[in-house]
Amino acid sequence: MAQPQPIAATPTPSPSPAPDATLIAAWRGGDEQAAAELVRRHARALARFLAGAGAPEADVDDLVQEALIRAFRAVAGFRGQCQFRTWLLTIGGNVLKDHGRRAARHQVVPLDERLRARDGDPHERAEAGEAEARLAVGIGELSRLQREVFLLRAQQGLEYGEIAAALDTTEGAARVHYHHAVKRLKEFLQ
Amino acid sequence: MTDDAKLEAAAQRLGTEAAERLNVERTVAAVLERLRAEPVSASRVRWMQPAWLRIAAALVILVAGGLIGRRLLVQSGTGGGRGSHEVAHFVSDDLSDLSADQLRDVLTTLDETLDLGRTTLPEVDLDNLDAQQLRVVLRSLEG
Repeated sequence: MAQPQPIAATPTPSPSPAPDATLIAAWRGGDEQAAAELVRRHARALARFLAGAGAPEADVDDLVQEALIRAFRAVAGFRGQCQFRTWLLTIGGNVLKDHGRRAARHQVVPLDERLRARDGDPHERAEAGEAEARLAVGIGELSRLQREVFLLRAQQGLEYGEIAAALDTTEGAARVHYHHAVKRLKEFLQ
Repeated sequence: MTDDAKLEAAAQRLGTEAAERLNVERTVAAVLERLRAEPVSASRVRWMQPAWLRIAAALVILVAGGLIGRRLLVQSGTGGGRGSHEVAHFVSDDLSDLSADQLRDVLTTLDETLDLGRTTLPEVDLDNLDAQQLRVVLRSLEG
């Protein structure tokens, strides 16, 4: 009698993560965990964007929280014209601008001070981060639109169409802003 | 390394340390706590109210402005005729109720009223007066 063949365990497909739109709809329906998942997905990218845009290191956590709170409160106005993350980053830009106004200053931390704040060998850190520090200074000199276009493109890797939709401008204008930003930033790197 | 590559690499590194330092779970807890403390619905209502109030105020202003403008137009278009019409109405009412005798009395009174306001000079030719008469006239004028 033939032994029954063991039934091959069919691999259970891992559930694909819910798209942002689903989580947004769930959050609007009162699902707190959906909001938590959105924070987990996008908080680090937001922190990276804010730090790149010149947010003081000590304030990045607070600014991330503020941007997320604003986004959740205004999510009814999000029409899906761009990705949720892109929209969130532009809100982060607004939060940073307001923060700068409140502080009545928008000064770039000097290079040596920035590097002293880091762990590790100062010389090694200086060698590794020189270009980054110069870039940070240069970004601080850009106009807000140039800065945001540059960061969304170079740091976040977004397409021009996505950037244009998020910043309510045209794709061509986004390209021009990026071009001017790169031109100016190269001067800082030289 | 070209400038473009250098710039691209630096841009990729930008903010990575801040992102790594971020405590995501602490951020989740903080955000949820703030959302619970001030629910979205409440904040939405707070934002919506001024919008509805603005719309309502604009409607009130439009309606009130329209009514006032309409009234002004009506008054400017028919104001003079309406006033004279009212006067004519009152006079005709009064006169139609009077008898023939009463009408004559009214006319007489009207004549007397008009005579009271009229300054009449004696229709005399001063050239025809003698000296004595001229003296009398002068005395009367002197009062």
